[in-house]
Amino acid sequence: RGGSQKRTSRLNVDTDNNEFAEFEEFEVDGDAPDDVNNVYVETEEAGDENYDIQDEEEEDAIVEDDENEFEHFQDDEEFEGYDSDRTTVNRAENKEVPEPRLNITPVPVHFRSNWDSFYLEMLMIAGLVVYFINFFSGKSKNSKMANLWYSTHKTVLEDNFSLVGDDGKMEIESRGLIKESEHMYTLWCSGRTCCEGMLVELKFLKRQDLVAVIAQMMKPSVDQIHIKVDMGKDDMDCFVFCVAAKKTALRLSKDMTDLSLFCGERKSGEKLGLPSNFSVMSEIGEVSLAILDSKVMAIINRYPELIDYIHFSDQYSGPKQQEEQASLTKLPPTKKVLLFGFNIQLKGRTVHEAIEQHKPLLNLVFYCMEKVRRYRLSKEGKNKADKNRLKVEEAFLKTTHAARAEAAAARREEKRRQEKERILQEDDPDKQRKWEEKEMKRQMKKKAPKMKQLKVKAL
Amino acid sequence: MHTSTHTNDVKRPDREHRYKPQVANPNSVATEDLTPDYMNILGMIFSMCGLMMRLKWCAWVALYCSCISFANSRVNDETKQIISSFMLSISAVVMSYLQNPQPMSPPWPTY
Repeated sequence: RGGSQKRTSRLNVDTDNNEFAEFEEFEVDGDAPDDVNNVYVETEEAGDENYDIQDEEEEDAIVEDDENEFEHFQDDEEFEGYDSDRTTVNRAENKEVPEPRLNITPVPVHFRSNWDSFYLEMLMIAGLVVYFINFFSGKSKNSKMANLWYSTHKTVLEDNFSLVGDDGKMEIESRGLIKESEHMYTLWCSGRTCCEGMLVELKFLKRQDLVAVIAQMMKPSVDQIHIKVDMGKDDMDCFVFCVAAKKTALRLSKDMTDLSLFCGERKSGEKLGLPSNFSVMSEIGEVSLAILDSKVMAIINRYPELIDYIHFSDQYSGPKQQEEQASLTKLPPTKKVLLFGFNIQLKGRTVHEAIEQHKPLLNLVFYCMEKVRRYRLSKEGKNKADKNRLKVEEAFLKTTHAARAEAAAARREEKRRQEKERILQEDDPDKQRKWEEKEMKRQMKKKAPKMKQLKVKAL
Repeated sequence: MHTSTHTNDVKRPDREHRYKPQVANPNSVATEDLTPDYMNILGMIFSMCGLMMRLKWCAWVALYCSCISFANSRVNDETKQIISSFMLSISAVVMSYLQNPQPMSPPWPTY
């Protein structure tokens, strides 16, 4: 039984009192095992047949600590009847083929073992929590601001309109603001002289969306109030006029169909006594002088940063439609409107003060309504306006001639097809024959060559 | 600056017009905010590729996209679309963790 028996028994005695006895033991023998595996393999060659018995004794004595709990997976011993260095002779080519290695694939470590490697997941969840905290705080801030605007302006609105706040349903359930989305509220008022109705649109920043909040830090923008007053048919004369901050004026003149069609160039505001960052676009010169009277000028000069644009137009049809003009068969519907765009400047003010500042601006809207209703163009102004409208009409007709011709041809074709069907259904044979003859003659005439037939007299 | 017309009442109940959302601003569609729709589609794409290619970070990005589209959604949007986008992205996250519970590998190559 020789050497391996002596060594393993000393092995058992030492391990009781010194856990690292095994390792010291190996240094003494002079072989340099890099891990426990080699030791097993080596003893296995020394005393092959009685190895199993000693192996069980060792198992009981050695304290199994956590790390090599799965160590035996790597050990070939685990597989009964398998000896890694036994070679099978491959009878066909009688070449020695080493036994295929058998090992257990490493199964991924289970969830519970180490939570700290999931740091990215925790990061993601934290991001979601922050997103929703910001969502609720932004949402409440926007709704508070909207309600504050409504409460401060309620009295003035109710003095001027018989119907304030309409949600479009059959019978009006909610009187106040309509919430379009977390950052957009609208209010419809109607029932006043010189206007059909007024739509107030509160377009706030998207405080509820973290991405928009970050974008807002990069490219700052402002909460806005857009007021659109629909004027009655005879409440407004024919003119297109706009005074706006330079940047907005540029954007509007490109986007809005009526401004691009009727208003030629943008004049700077200084000439008319407006702050420098304002520009004026007007179809007829006299209109801007009439509209920008002392009161309106006073307001604009006092609150230049609050006013974004003031746009009066009787040919308003909204922003340019994307599809190219040629396919349109008739002009888009135009309306007489007064459009106002105001900014809410919260910097350095509480929300209450900022909203309070807008009271005179709402009075400005009512003042402009009255003014536009009373204002009538002079004679030559009227001619110029009518001339412009005719010019635009003809230009439109020319560009869409092809589309309209097609539409007309299609209509004619449709009419003829229906007529043909009607005739075929009728059972009266001779009427059908007569109709077909007429039809044949018409086809012949169309197909006949266009050149004249010359009469040649027989000599 | 007070309005001088308070003497005679300006209110005209007979000229009242009811609010018709389409008529009031028909061309508001052109200037409408398209973020919720874009985010919805993006979320759909990310959760699909999170499910198909088992990329965990795709599933998480899908979850963020559906949150953003929820935040920007309009009131008259029907909620079905929002709920379905949330369900899809949450299922993408759960499925990618059920298939292999390894911690997530970030999209940027880690050396």
